[in-house]
Amino acid sequence: MSQNLDRYHRQMLLPGFGEEGQRRLLGSKVLVVGCGALGTVVANLLARAGVGHLVIVDRDFIEMTNLQRQVLFEEADVEQAIPKAEAARRKIGQINRDVKVTAVVDDLNHTNIESLAEGCDLIVDGLDNFETRFVVNDAAVKMGIPYVYGGAVGTVGMQFSVLPHTLGGDAAWETLEGGSQATPCLRCIFEQAPPPGMNPTCDTAGVLGPTVSIVASYEANEALKILTGNWEAVSPTLLHVDTWHNVVKQFKVARAYDIGECTCCKKRDFEFLGGKLGSSTTTLCGRNAVQLQHKANGAEGGPKLDFDEIAQRLEKHGSVTANKFMIRADITDNGEAYELTLFTDGRAIVKGTKHANIARSIYAKYVGA
Amino acid sequence: MAESVTVRIPTALRPQVGDNEAIEVEASTVGEALGDIRAQYPEFGERLYKSDTELNRFINVYLNDEDIRFLENLDTKLSKGDELSIVPAIAGG
Repeated sequence: MSQNLDRYHRQMLLPGFGEEGQRRLLGSKVLVVGCGALGTVVANLLARAGVGHLVIVDRDFIEMTNLQRQVLFEEADVEQAIPKAEAARRKIGQINRDVKVTAVVDDLNHTNIESLAEGCDLIVDGLDNFETRFVVNDAAVKMGIPYVYGGAVGTVGMQFSVLPHTLGGDAAWETLEGGSQATPCLRCIFEQAPPPGMNPTCDTAGVLGPTVSIVASYEANEALKILTGNWEAVSPTLLHVDTWHNVVKQFKVARAYDIGECTCCKKRDFEFLGGKLGSSTTTLCGRNAVQLQHKANGAEGGPKLDFDEIAQRLEKHGSVTANKFMIRADITDNGEAYELTLFTDGRAIVKGTKHANIARSIYAKYVGA
Repeated sequence: MAESVTVRIPTALRPQVGDNEAIEVEASTVGEALGDIRAQYPEFGERLYKSDTELNRFINVYLNDEDIRFLENLDTKLSKGDELSIVPAIAGG
């Protein structure tokens, strides 16, 4: 064993790993999209395991309420207002000097995902909204890069690994002796993103640290199998955990590709990546405000917001006024005051910033998509 | 023939069904089971169903561990002790 691999001895003992597996990890490049609760746990585990290069993308700064579950951050990061991606880079530098970390402080969207994913062996999910996941899923399928999805809210979470069907059908996971291990994509399983406001978010409904850690640990677990080429060991099921009621389920989803008519991986029409579906932002000049416009998210007629429910949730965060046309809420986020106005067609105006990424962050946290 | 089955309700829909985590119903098909709950809790129905005969596509329903879309959808027959799970996409993280 060469000297520089000593620290990985305990995992190299594992069958299917060995020195070869370790060298594969050290030669790997992984894109970590989002660096909150899921992202910090995954990045921490992958860095300790010796994944050679992590590219970490996140648009947010660290807040005190993040520390309950986001394992790479400390109180000093909040006091110094360090962006999450940069704080993660610094912390990982102290954990494992073998790992190169590229911190990207930016909003991940359809305009930058392909350049960020270029040359990556895997994309791993730490996102806080479903729309961006469909953008990532589109890119993963188009570029033939495995994508490990994870999501968690409250005490419930799910995880699924996408080994995409490629155009050439010649990816490593498609040309195995025992047959192709290619899986459905995320859109085969969930044809549409939930409409804005339909689902609880971690900022409105709460989230338990261990729940996200469990989901993120599963993500890292699957990521290590993928990066070491242990394709047969990658789980083909959709894992669903409720850690409060201790219910764990594995749903069979393989047939979603065979039987389904997936727009993304079967018809190879990348609607989210092309900007046909999803949201767009416009900075409203001179008003210190950003408008978010939701195109139909795959739903006919576009999303319809449940004002009563959203108003109830927002009342926990500040004063809310509502009528049948709009909801307006005063929200204090990370010490800054914002005015969020939501219209019935899903359009939103976030006042108190000129930056699209801050507006998207406020929307994802308090409305959700 | 109507069989006794359990329907697991996701966190997001529990307020619409009196905060129940699971509901026992007597039904012979998936459509009947969900329809029973919908009749009792109309707000639950509004969220789950896209139209009278179709579910919203951001919510999946699994009979035990199989997606009903790949069985016979709402017409899928039920057996005693079956478990239906209503599973929305989870967006947080």
